Amino acid sequence: MDIEELSDLIKQHGKAIYGFCYKLAGNKADTDDLYQETFLKAMEVRHKMDANQNPKGFLISIAIQLRKNKRRKFAWRQRIAPVAELNEAVDKACRPCGEATPEDAVLSHELRGILQAAADRLGDKLKIPLYMHYTAEMSVDEIASALNIPPGTVKSRLYQARKAMKKTLEVESP
Amino acid sequence: MNDSQEWDKLLKQALAAAEEPEEQLNSSIINRYKERNRMKRVTRKRFSIGVLVAVLTLVMSITAVAATQLFSSKQVAEHLGDQVLAKAFESKGAIEINQTVASGDFNFTLHGIVSGAGLSGLNSSAQDINPDRTYAVVSIAKQNGSPMPDTQDPEYGKEPFFVSPFIKGQKPWQVNIMTMNGGYSEMVLDGIMYRLIECDGIEMFADRGVYLAVSSGSSFYSSEAFAYNESTGEVSARTDYKGTSILFDLPLDKAKADPAKAEAYLQELLKEPSEGEAADQAVSDEETAMMKRSEELKKLIPDGKVIPESVKEVTYDDKGNINYDYDGFSIMIAPDQLFAEGQTGLSEFMQVSEDDFTAKALQFSRDDKGVITGRVIVLK
Repeated sequence: MDIEELSDLIKQHGKAIYGFCYKLAGNKADTDDLYQETFLKAMEVRHKMDANQNPKGFLISIAIQLRKNKRRKFAWRQRIAPVAELNEAVDKACRPCGEATPEDAVLSHELRGILQAAADRLGDKLKIPLYMHYTAEMSVDEIASALNIPPGTVKSRLYQARKAMKKTLEVESP
Repeated sequence: MNDSQEWDKLLKQALAAAEEPEEQLNSSIINRYKERNRMKRVTRKRFSIGVLVAVLTLVMSITAVAATQLFSSKQVAEHLGDQVLAKAFESKGAIEINQTVASGDFNFTLHGIVSGAGLSGLNSSAQDINPDRTYAVVSIAKQNGSPMPDTQDPEYGKEPFFVSPFIKGQKPWQVNIMTMNGGYSEMVLDGIMYRLIECDGIEMFADRGVYLAVSSGSSFYSSEAFAYNESTGEVSARTDYKGTSILFDLPLDKAKADPAKAEAYLQELLKEPSEGEAADQAVSDEETAMMKRSEELKKLIPDGKVIPESVKEVTYDDKGNINYDYDGFSIMIAPDQLFAEGQTGLSEFMQVSEDDFTAKALQFSRDDKGVITGRVIVLK
Protein backbone atom coordinates (compact mmCIF):
# COMPACT_ATOMS: atom_id res chain seq x y z
CA MET A 1 0.00 0.00 0.00
CA ASP A 2 2.82 2.38 0.94
CA ILE A 3 4.66 1.61 -2.27
CA GLU A 4 1.49 2.32 -4.24
CA GLU A 5 1.11 5.57 -2.40
CA LEU A 6 4.65 6.55 -3.34
CA SER A 7 4.20 5.49 -6.98
CA ASP A 8 1.03 7.55 -7.21
CA LEU A 9 2.72 10.58 -5.73
CA ILE A 10 5.58 10.29 -8.22
CA LYS A 11 3.20 9.75 -11.10
CA GLN A 12 1.03 12.72 -10.25
CA HIS A 13 3.56 15.23 -9.09
CA GLY A 14 6.98 13.93 -10.17
CA LYS A 15 7.38 16.26 -13.14
CA ALA A 16 6.36 19.40 -11.26
CA ILE A 17 8.53 18.55 -8.27
CA TYR A 18 11.50 17.72 -10.49
CA GLY A 19 11.17 21.00 -12.37
CA PHE A 20 10.96 22.90 -9.12
CA CYS A 21 13.95 21.05 -7.67
CA TYR A 22 15.90 21.85 -10.81
CA LYS A 23 15.23 25.55 -10.34
CA LEU A 24 16.49 25.31 -6.77
CA ALA A 25 19.48 23.07 -7.35
CA GLY A 26 20.62 24.31 -10.75
CA ASN A 27 22.21 21.11 -12.05
CA LYS A 28 21.10 17.60 -12.79
CA ALA A 29 23.11 15.75 -10.16
CA ASP A 30 21.89 17.93 -7.28
CA THR A 31 18.37 17.96 -8.69
CA ASP A 32 18.29 14.16 -8.76
CA ASP A 33 19.44 14.07 -5.13
CA LEU A 34 16.99 16.68 -3.95
CA TYR A 35 14.11 15.11 -5.88
CA GLN A 36 14.88 11.67 -4.49
CA GLU A 37 15.27 12.89 -0.92
CA THR A 38 12.05 14.89 -1.18
CA PHE A 39 9.96 11.80 -1.92
CA LEU A 40 11.75 9.65 0.64
CA LYS A 41 11.32 12.29 3.33
CA ALA A 42 7.68 12.72 2.34
CA MET A 43 7.09 9.03 2.94
CA GLU A 44 8.79 9.27 6.32
CA VAL A 45 6.46 12.03 7.45
CA ARG A 46 3.44 11.10 5.38
CA HIS A 47 1.25 11.05 8.47
CA LYS A 48 1.33 14.82 8.08
CA MET A 49 0.20 14.75 4.49
CA ASP A 50 -3.46 14.81 3.73
CA ALA A 51 -3.68 13.39 0.23
CA ASN A 52 -6.85 15.33 -0.43
CA GLN A 53 -5.29 18.65 0.39
CA ASN A 54 -2.40 19.98 -1.57
CA PRO A 55 0.05 17.04 -1.65
CA LYS A 56 2.08 18.95 -4.25
CA GLY A 57 2.46 21.82 -1.78
CA PHE A 58 3.52 19.36 0.89
CA LEU A 59 6.20 17.91 -1.39
CA ILE A 60 7.39 21.34 -2.44
CA SER A 61 7.68 22.49 1.17
CA ILE A 62 9.79 19.42 1.92
CA ALA A 63 12.05 20.18 -1.05
CA ILE A 64 12.47 23.77 0.18
CA GLN A 65 13.36 22.57 3.68
CA LEU A 66 15.80 19.95 2.43
CA ARG A 67 17.47 22.42 0.13
CA LYS A 68 17.85 24.90 2.98
CA ASN A 69 19.56 22.20 5.01
CA LYS A 70 21.91 21.21 2.25
CA ARG A 71 22.32 24.58 0.69
CA ARG A 72 26.06 24.58 0.76
CA LYS A 73 26.09 21.36 -1.18
CA PHE A 74 24.07 22.70 -4.05
CA ALA A 75 25.94 24.63 -6.65
CA TRP A 76 24.01 27.83 -6.90
CA ARG A 77 24.37 29.07 -10.43
CA GLN A 78 24.71 32.73 -11.05
CA ARG A 79 23.94 32.99 -14.71
CA ILE A 80 25.21 36.14 -16.35
CA ALA A 81 23.24 37.41 -19.29
CA PRO A 82 25.31 39.19 -21.93
CA VAL A 83 24.34 42.85 -22.42
CA ALA A 84 23.87 42.55 -26.19
CA GLU A 85 21.30 39.86 -25.70
CA LEU A 86 19.62 41.87 -23.00
CA ASN A 87 18.83 44.73 -25.34
CA GLU A 88 17.17 42.41 -27.76
CA ALA A 89 15.33 40.68 -24.97
CA VAL A 90 14.00 43.87 -23.50
CA ASP A 91 12.81 44.93 -26.92
CA LYS A 92 10.92 41.71 -27.24
CA ALA A 93 9.65 41.72 -23.68
CA CYS A 94 8.33 45.27 -24.01
CA ARG A 95 6.86 44.93 -27.46
CA PRO A 96 3.06 45.08 -27.37
CA CYS A 97 1.40 41.78 -28.03
CA GLY A 98 -0.16 42.88 -31.32
CA GLU A 99 3.24 43.49 -32.82
CA ALA A 100 4.51 40.02 -32.09
CA THR A 101 6.10 38.32 -35.05
CA PRO A 102 5.58 34.60 -35.68
CA GLU A 103 9.11 33.98 -34.35
CA ASP A 104 8.05 35.40 -31.02
CA ALA A 105 5.40 32.76 -30.57
CA VAL A 106 8.11 30.58 -29.17
CA LEU A 107 10.18 32.31 -26.56
CA SER A 108 13.70 32.76 -27.83
CA HIS A 109 16.45 30.81 -26.20
CA GLU A 110 18.18 34.05 -25.19
CA LEU A 111 15.13 35.62 -23.61
CA ARG A 112 14.37 32.46 -21.72
CA GLY A 113 17.93 32.45 -20.38
CA ILE A 114 17.72 36.08 -19.36
CA LEU A 115 14.43 35.68 -17.55
CA GLN A 116 15.71 32.58 -15.82
CA ALA A 117 18.84 34.45 -14.77
CA ALA A 118 16.78 37.34 -13.44
CA ALA A 119 14.63 34.91 -11.44
CA ASP A 120 17.73 33.21 -10.10
CA ARG A 121 19.04 36.50 -8.77
CA LEU A 122 15.97 37.09 -6.63
CA GLY A 123 16.10 36.33 -2.95
CA ASP A 124 14.42 33.15 -1.71
CA LYS A 125 11.47 35.10 -0.36
CA LEU A 126 10.42 36.12 -3.87
CA LYS A 127 12.06 33.37 -5.90
CA ILE A 128 10.41 30.41 -4.20
CA PRO A 129 6.78 31.57 -4.69
CA LEU A 130 7.71 32.55 -8.26
CA TYR A 131 8.97 29.06 -9.06
CA MET A 132 6.07 27.48 -7.23
CA HIS A 133 3.68 29.44 -9.40
CA TYR A 134 5.35 29.29 -12.79
CA THR A 135 7.36 26.08 -12.61
CA ALA A 136 5.29 23.87 -10.33
CA GLU A 137 2.09 25.51 -11.58
CA MET A 138 0.63 26.02 -8.14
CA SER A 139 -2.21 28.38 -7.43
CA VAL A 140 -1.90 31.25 -4.99
CA ASP A 141 -3.93 29.30 -2.43
CA GLU A 142 -1.78 26.20 -2.84
CA ILE A 143 1.40 28.25 -2.36
CA ALA A 144 -0.11 29.95 0.67
CA SER A 145 -0.93 26.66 2.34
CA ALA A 146 2.45 25.11 1.50
CA LEU A 147 4.44 28.08 2.79
CA ASN A 148 2.03 28.70 5.63
CA ILE A 149 1.53 32.35 4.73
CA PRO A 150 -1.67 34.25 3.84
CA PRO A 151 -2.75 34.25 0.15
CA GLY A 152 -2.43 38.05 0.12
CA THR A 153 1.25 37.72 1.01
CA VAL A 154 1.75 35.24 -1.83
CA LYS A 155 0.11 37.65 -4.28
CA SER A 156 2.27 40.47 -3.02
CA ARG A 157 5.45 38.40 -3.33
CA LEU A 158 4.57 37.32 -6.85
CA TYR A 159 3.92 40.93 -7.73
CA GLN A 160 7.22 42.04 -6.21
CA ALA A 161 9.06 39.22 -7.98
CA ARG A 162 7.66 40.21 -11.36
CA LYS A 163 8.41 43.85 -10.66
CA ALA A 164 11.98 43.08 -9.62
CA MET A 165 12.57 41.01 -12.74
CA LYS A 166 11.17 43.67 -14.98
CA LYS A 167 13.32 46.27 -13.28
CA THR A 168 16.41 44.14 -13.73
CA LEU A 169 15.82 43.98 -17.45
CA GLU A 170 15.03 47.67 -17.76
CA VAL A 171 18.01 48.80 -15.69
CA GLU A 172 20.39 46.71 -17.73
CA SER A 173 19.16 48.09 -21.03
CA PRO A 174 20.91 51.28 -22.21
CA MET B 1 -3.48 41.79 -23.50
CA ASN B 2 -2.17 44.20 -20.86
CA ASP B 3 1.39 44.52 -19.66
CA SER B 4 0.79 42.36 -16.61
CA GLN B 5 -0.72 39.56 -18.66
CA GLU B 6 2.16 39.85 -21.11
CA TRP B 7 4.63 39.40 -18.30
CA ASP B 8 2.66 36.51 -16.92
CA LYS B 9 2.79 34.81 -20.28
CA LEU B 10 6.50 35.45 -20.66
CA LEU B 11 7.27 34.10 -17.23
CA LYS B 12 5.15 31.03 -17.74
CA GLN B 13 7.13 30.23 -20.85
CA ALA B 14 10.52 31.13 -19.42
CA LEU B 15 10.19 29.42 -16.05
CA ALA B 16 8.27 26.33 -17.09
CA ALA B 17 10.32 23.25 -16.38
CA ALA B 18 11.80 21.57 -19.39
CA GLU B 19 13.51 19.00 -17.22
CA GLU B 20 11.80 15.76 -16.30
CA PRO B 21 12.80 12.99 -13.95
CA GLU B 22 14.19 9.94 -15.68
CA GLU B 23 12.25 6.72 -15.24
CA GLN B 24 15.33 5.19 -13.66
CA LEU B 25 15.38 7.91 -11.00
CA ASN B 26 11.74 7.24 -10.11
CA SER B 27 12.44 3.51 -9.88
CA SER B 28 15.42 4.21 -7.70
CA ILE B 29 13.23 6.17 -5.25
CA ILE B 30 10.82 3.27 -4.99
CA ASN B 31 13.68 0.82 -4.51
CA ARG B 32 15.31 2.95 -1.87
CA TYR B 33 12.01 3.28 -0.07
CA LYS B 34 11.49 -0.48 -0.16
CA GLU B 35 15.00 -0.92 1.18
CA ARG B 36 14.42 1.57 3.97
CA ASN B 37 11.23 -0.20 4.95
CA ARG B 38 12.96 -3.52 5.00
CA MET B 39 15.75 -2.20 7.15
CA LYS B 40 13.41 -0.32 9.49
CA ARG B 41 16.08 2.30 9.79
CA VAL B 42 15.81 5.06 12.29
CA THR B 43 17.97 8.15 12.21
CA ARG B 44 17.57 10.79 14.78
CA LYS B 45 19.20 13.83 16.11
CA ARG B 46 18.89 13.62 19.80
CA PHE B 47 19.62 15.77 22.74
CA SER B 48 18.72 15.46 26.36
CA ILE B 49 17.99 18.59 28.20
CA GLY B 50 19.80 18.14 31.46
CA VAL B 51 22.22 15.55 30.17
CA LEU B 52 23.27 17.43 27.03
CA VAL B 53 24.16 14.63 24.71
CA ALA B 54 23.92 14.83 20.95
CA VAL B 55 24.67 11.70 19.01
CA LEU B 56 23.54 10.41 15.68
CA THR B 57 22.61 6.80 16.06
CA LEU B 58 21.06 4.32 13.78
CA VAL B 59 20.10 0.85 14.75
CA MET B 60 18.78 -2.07 12.86
CA SER B 61 18.80 -5.77 12.87
CA ILE B 62 18.60 -8.39 10.21
CA THR B 63 18.06 -11.98 11.10
CA ALA B 64 17.67 -15.20 9.21
CA VAL B 65 20.84 -14.62 7.25
CA ALA B 66 22.91 -17.74 7.42
CA ALA B 67 26.50 -16.64 7.71
CA THR B 68 29.40 -18.88 8.43
CA GLN B 69 31.85 -16.03 8.72
CA LEU B 70 31.91 -12.38 9.60
CA PHE B 71 30.74 -9.83 7.11
CA SER B 72 33.28 -7.47 5.59
CA SER B 73 33.29 -3.69 6.10
CA LYS B 74 31.92 -3.34 2.59
CA GLN B 75 29.05 -5.74 3.28
CA VAL B 76 28.24 -3.99 6.54
CA ALA B 77 28.01 -0.64 4.73
CA GLU B 78 25.79 -2.27 2.10
CA HIS B 79 23.48 -3.68 4.75
CA LEU B 80 23.25 -0.24 6.27
CA GLY B 81 22.07 1.06 2.91
CA ASP B 82 25.19 3.08 2.16
CA GLN B 83 26.35 1.92 -1.26
CA VAL B 84 28.75 4.83 -1.65
CA LEU B 85 30.55 3.90 1.55
CA ALA B 86 30.53 0.23 0.55
CA LYS B 87 32.49 1.20 -2.56
CA ALA B 88 34.85 3.32 -0.47
CA PHE B 89 35.64 0.29 1.72
CA GLU B 90 36.73 -1.50 -1.46
CA SER B 91 38.88 1.36 -2.68
CA LYS B 92 42.66 1.58 -2.63
CA GLY B 93 42.63 4.03 0.27
CA ALA B 94 40.71 1.67 2.57
CA ILE B 95 42.60 -0.48 5.08
CA GLU B 96 41.38 -4.04 5.67
CA ILE B 97 42.41 -5.05 9.18
CA ASN B 98 40.33 -8.06 10.32
CA GLN B 99 42.02 -8.32 13.68
CA THR B 100 40.17 -10.10 16.49
CA VAL B 101 40.77 -9.67 20.22
CA ALA B 102 39.03 -11.80 22.83
CA SER B 103 38.05 -9.97 25.99
CA GLY B 104 35.62 -10.93 28.74
CA ASP B 105 32.79 -12.86 27.13
CA PHE B 106 33.25 -11.32 23.72
CA ASN B 107 35.33 -11.40 20.57
CA PHE B 108 35.93 -7.94 19.14
CA THR B 109 36.97 -7.68 15.52
CA LEU B 110 38.21 -4.54 13.85
CA HIS B 111 37.26 -5.09 10.22
CA GLY B 112 38.49 -2.07 8.33
CA ILE B 113 38.80 1.65 8.10
CA VAL B 114 38.53 4.28 5.39
CA SER B 115 38.92 8.05 5.43
CA GLY B 116 38.18 10.91 3.09
CA ALA B 117 35.54 13.36 1.92
CA GLY B 118 32.29 12.38 0.23
CA LEU B 119 32.63 8.71 1.11
CA SER B 120 29.12 8.24 2.44
CA GLY B 121 25.88 8.38 0.53
CA LEU B 122 23.97 9.04 3.76
CA ASN B 123 24.20 12.67 4.67
CA SER B 124 24.69 13.75 8.23
CA SER B 125 24.97 17.22 9.65
CA ALA B 126 28.47 16.35 10.84
CA GLN B 127 29.59 16.25 7.21
CA ASP B 128 28.78 19.93 6.98
CA ILE B 129 31.00 20.66 9.97
CA ASN B 130 33.91 18.66 8.64
CA PRO B 131 33.58 16.91 5.26
CA ASP B 132 36.72 14.85 5.82
CA ARG B 133 35.43 11.78 7.70
CA THR B 134 36.73 8.46 8.96
CA TYR B 135 34.61 5.31 8.96
CA ALA B 136 35.49 2.05 10.70
CA VAL B 137 33.65 -1.21 11.27
CA VAL B 138 33.92 -3.22 14.48
CA SER B 139 32.00 -6.39 15.26
CA ILE B 140 31.18 -7.86 18.64
CA ALA B 141 30.38 -11.55 19.01
CA LYS B 142 29.78 -13.67 22.08
CA GLN B 143 32.55 -16.17 22.66
CA ASN B 144 30.14 -18.95 23.60
CA GLY B 145 28.42 -18.62 20.22
CA SER B 146 25.14 -17.36 21.61
CA PRO B 147 23.67 -14.47 19.64
CA MET B 148 23.99 -10.82 20.58
CA PRO B 149 20.53 -9.37 21.31
CA ASP B 150 18.66 -8.33 18.24
CA THR B 151 17.98 -4.60 18.00
CA GLN B 152 14.27 -5.34 18.44
CA ASP B 153 15.03 -7.37 21.56
CA PRO B 154 14.40 -5.67 24.91
CA GLU B 155 17.89 -6.84 25.93
CA TYR B 156 19.48 -4.86 23.10
CA GLY B 157 21.70 -2.09 24.39
CA LYS B 158 21.60 -3.30 27.99
CA GLU B 159 25.31 -4.04 27.66
CA PRO B 160 26.53 -0.74 26.22
CA PHE B 161 29.78 -0.38 24.30
CA PHE B 162 31.98 2.57 23.53
CA VAL B 163 33.99 2.49 20.30
CA SER B 164 36.20 5.46 19.55
CA PRO B 165 39.49 6.52 18.08
CA PHE B 166 42.08 7.91 20.50
CA ILE B 167 45.12 9.88 19.44
CA LYS B 168 48.46 9.33 21.07
CA GLY B 169 49.45 12.40 23.05
CA GLN B 170 45.87 13.59 23.45
CA LYS B 171 43.82 13.07 26.58
CA PRO B 172 41.23 10.48 25.57
CA TRP B 173 38.46 12.12 27.58
CA GLN B 174 39.03 15.25 25.52
CA VAL B 175 39.60 13.82 22.05
CA ASN B 176 37.27 10.97 21.25
CA ILE B 177 34.34 10.13 18.99
CA MET B 178 31.99 12.37 20.95
CA THR B 179 34.13 15.46 20.59
CA MET B 180 35.13 14.63 17.02
CA ASN B 181 31.59 15.11 15.66
CA GLY B 182 31.12 11.38 15.64
CA GLY B 183 28.30 8.92 15.71
CA TYR B 184 27.61 5.34 14.82
CA SER B 185 25.25 2.95 13.10
CA GLU B 186 24.65 -0.47 14.50
CA MET B 187 23.00 -3.67 13.40
CA VAL B 188 22.83 -7.29 14.42
CA LEU B 189 23.43 -9.74 11.62
CA ASP B 190 23.09 -13.42 12.35
CA GLY B 191 23.70 -12.88 16.06
CA ILE B 192 26.78 -10.73 15.59
CA MET B 193 26.68 -7.05 16.31
CA TYR B 194 28.33 -4.72 13.81
CA ARG B 195 29.05 -1.13 14.56
CA LEU B 196 30.00 1.36 11.88
CA ILE B 197 31.53 4.41 13.50
CA GLU B 198 32.18 7.71 11.83
CA CYS B 199 33.91 10.83 13.03
CA ASP B 200 36.12 13.64 11.78
CA GLY B 201 39.03 12.36 9.67
CA ILE B 202 41.88 10.86 11.67
CA GLU B 203 44.42 10.27 8.89
CA MET B 204 45.95 13.68 9.59
CA PHE B 205 47.17 12.20 12.90
CA ALA B 206 48.83 9.20 11.21
CA ASP B 207 52.33 10.23 12.29
CA ARG B 208 51.34 10.52 15.96
CA GLY B 209 49.80 7.07 16.41
CA VAL B 210 46.08 6.44 16.52
CA TYR B 211 44.21 3.76 18.48
CA LEU B 212 40.73 2.41 18.14
CA ALA B 213 39.38 1.84 21.63
CA VAL B 214 36.54 -0.48 22.60
CA SER B 215 35.12 -0.67 26.09
CA SER B 216 32.01 -2.09 27.66
CA GLY B 217 29.83 -0.87 30.51
CA SER B 218 29.10 2.57 29.11
CA SER B 219 28.35 4.34 25.83
CA PHE B 220 30.73 7.08 26.87
CA TYR B 221 34.43 7.35 27.59
CA SER B 222 35.26 5.78 30.94
CA SER B 223 38.40 6.63 32.88
CA GLU B 224 37.92 3.33 34.68
CA ALA B 225 38.50 1.50 31.40
CA PHE B 226 41.50 3.42 30.07
CA ALA B 227 44.60 5.07 31.52
CA TYR B 228 46.49 8.02 30.09
CA ASN B 229 50.17 8.58 30.73
CA GLU B 230 50.71 12.35 30.82
CA SER B 231 54.47 12.11 30.23
CA THR B 232 54.48 9.72 27.27
CA GLY B 233 51.03 10.45 25.86
CA GLU B 234 50.35 6.71 25.72
CA VAL B 235 46.82 5.47 26.26
CA SER B 236 46.46 2.00 27.71
CA ALA B 237 43.64 -0.34 28.64
CA ARG B 238 43.30 -0.76 32.40
CA THR B 239 43.90 -4.36 33.36
CA ASP B 240 41.86 -3.96 36.55
CA TYR B 241 38.75 -2.88 34.64
CA LYS B 242 35.93 -5.31 35.22
CA GLY B 243 34.47 -5.06 31.75
CA THR B 244 36.06 -5.07 28.33
CA SER B 245 38.78 -2.58 27.57
CA ILE B 246 40.89 -3.01 24.47
CA LEU B 247 42.92 -0.90 22.09
CA PHE B 248 43.65 -1.63 18.45
CA ASP B 249 46.60 0.16 16.89
CA LEU B 250 45.40 1.63 13.62
CA PRO B 251 47.86 0.97 10.77
CA LEU B 252 47.41 4.36 9.10
CA ASP B 253 49.66 5.45 6.26
CA LYS B 254 52.08 7.97 7.78
CA ALA B 255 52.45 9.64 4.40
CA LYS B 256 48.86 10.84 4.84
CA ALA B 257 49.67 12.72 8.06
CA ASP B 258 49.11 16.46 7.98
CA PRO B 259 50.72 17.92 11.12
CA ALA B 260 49.63 21.50 10.42
CA LYS B 261 46.02 20.55 9.80
CA ALA B 262 46.07 18.22 12.81
CA GLU B 263 47.40 20.96 15.07
CA ALA B 264 44.81 23.45 13.87
CA TYR B 265 42.05 20.88 14.34
CA LEU B 266 43.15 20.11 17.90
CA GLN B 267 43.45 23.77 18.78
CA GLU B 268 39.87 24.30 17.71
CA LEU B 269 38.65 21.17 19.45
CA LEU B 270 40.48 21.85 22.70
CA LYS B 271 39.68 25.52 22.87
CA GLU B 272 38.50 26.07 26.39
CA PRO B 273 35.49 28.34 26.69
CA SER B 274 37.29 30.32 29.37
CA GLU B 275 40.32 30.94 27.18
CA GLY B 276 38.75 33.53 24.97
CA GLU B 277 35.75 35.70 24.81
CA ALA B 278 34.82 34.42 21.36
CA ALA B 279 34.81 30.82 22.51
CA ASP B 280 32.83 31.84 25.54
CA GLN B 281 30.35 33.48 23.30
CA ALA B 282 30.16 30.46 20.99
CA VAL B 283 29.47 28.05 23.81
CA SER B 284 27.11 30.44 25.41
CA ASP B 285 25.27 30.92 22.12
CA GLU B 286 24.98 27.19 21.63
CA GLU B 287 23.66 26.68 25.14
CA THR B 288 21.33 29.61 24.78
CA ALA B 289 20.02 28.22 21.51
CA MET B 290 19.51 24.81 23.08
CA MET B 291 17.76 26.25 26.11
CA LYS B 292 15.61 28.38 23.85
CA ARG B 293 14.73 25.36 21.75
CA SER B 294 13.93 23.33 24.85
CA GLU B 295 11.59 26.05 26.06
CA GLU B 296 9.89 26.13 22.66
CA LEU B 297 9.48 22.38 22.71
CA LYS B 298 8.22 22.37 26.30
CA LYS B 299 5.45 24.69 25.21
CA LEU B 300 4.36 22.08 22.67
CA ILE B 301 3.91 19.40 25.33
CA PRO B 302 0.33 20.31 26.33
CA ASP B 303 -0.77 19.97 22.70
CA GLY B 304 1.42 16.94 22.06
CA LYS B 305 0.07 13.47 21.50
CA VAL B 306 1.17 10.83 23.98
CA ILE B 307 2.00 7.52 22.32
CA PRO B 308 -0.10 5.09 24.40
CA GLU B 309 2.35 2.18 24.04
CA SER B 310 5.15 4.35 25.37
CA VAL B 311 3.50 4.93 28.73
CA LYS B 312 5.19 2.52 31.09
CA GLU B 313 6.66 2.28 34.51
CA VAL B 314 10.42 2.45 34.63
CA THR B 315 12.53 -0.45 35.86
CA TYR B 316 15.48 -0.20 38.24
CA ASP B 317 18.95 -1.71 38.00
CA ASP B 318 20.95 -2.97 40.96
CA LYS B 319 22.53 0.47 41.44
CA GLY B 320 19.13 2.09 41.82
CA ASN B 321 19.20 3.76 38.41
CA ILE B 322 15.99 3.89 36.47
CA ASN B 323 15.78 2.36 33.01
CA TYR B 324 13.33 3.27 30.29
CA ASP B 325 13.28 2.00 26.70
CA TYR B 326 10.84 2.79 23.95
CA ASP B 327 11.34 3.06 20.21
CA GLY B 328 14.91 4.32 20.29
CA PHE B 329 14.50 6.28 23.51
CA SER B 330 16.73 4.50 25.94
CA ILE B 331 17.79 6.03 29.17
CA MET B 332 19.48 5.00 32.38
CA ILE B 333 19.55 7.74 34.98
CA ALA B 334 19.57 8.21 38.74
CA PRO B 335 16.06 9.12 39.95
CA ASP B 336 17.39 12.09 41.92
CA GLN B 337 18.45 13.66 38.62
CA LEU B 338 14.83 13.66 37.57
CA PHE B 339 13.00 14.54 40.76
CA ALA B 340 13.80 16.44 43.92
CA GLU B 341 13.10 14.62 47.16
CA GLY B 342 9.37 14.23 47.64
CA GLN B 343 8.58 15.79 44.26
CA THR B 344 5.62 14.39 42.40
CA GLY B 345 4.18 15.22 39.00
CA LEU B 346 6.19 15.84 35.86
CA SER B 347 9.97 16.03 35.70
CA GLU B 348 11.74 19.09 34.35
CA PHE B 349 14.05 16.77 32.45
CA MET B 350 13.04 15.69 29.01
CA GLN B 351 14.88 13.97 26.22
CA VAL B 352 14.07 15.15 22.74
CA SER B 353 14.49 13.42 19.42
CA GLU B 354 14.09 15.86 16.60
CA ASP B 355 14.61 16.10 12.89
CA ASP B 356 13.32 18.68 10.44
CA PHE B 357 9.84 17.32 10.40
CA THR B 358 9.10 15.53 13.64
CA ALA B 359 9.93 16.02 17.29
CA LYS B 360 9.27 13.63 20.12
CA ALA B 361 9.96 14.10 23.80
CA LEU B 362 10.44 11.61 26.57
CA GLN B 363 9.17 12.85 29.88
CA PHE B 364 8.78 11.26 33.29
CA SER B 365 6.20 11.63 36.02
CA ARG B 366 6.19 10.43 39.61
CA ASP B 367 3.05 9.71 41.61
CA ASP B 368 2.58 10.06 45.36
CA LYS B 369 3.58 6.43 45.86
CA GLY B 370 6.93 7.13 44.20
CA VAL B 371 6.13 5.20 41.01
CA ILE B 372 7.98 6.75 38.05
CA THR B 373 6.39 6.48 34.63
CA GLY B 374 7.92 7.44 31.30
CA ARG B 375 6.01 8.52 28.23
CA VAL B 376 6.88 9.66 24.73
CA ILE B 377 4.99 12.63 23.34
CA VAL B 378 4.80 13.54 19.66
CA LEU B 379 5.37 17.29 19.59
CA LYS B 380 5.25 18.01 15.87
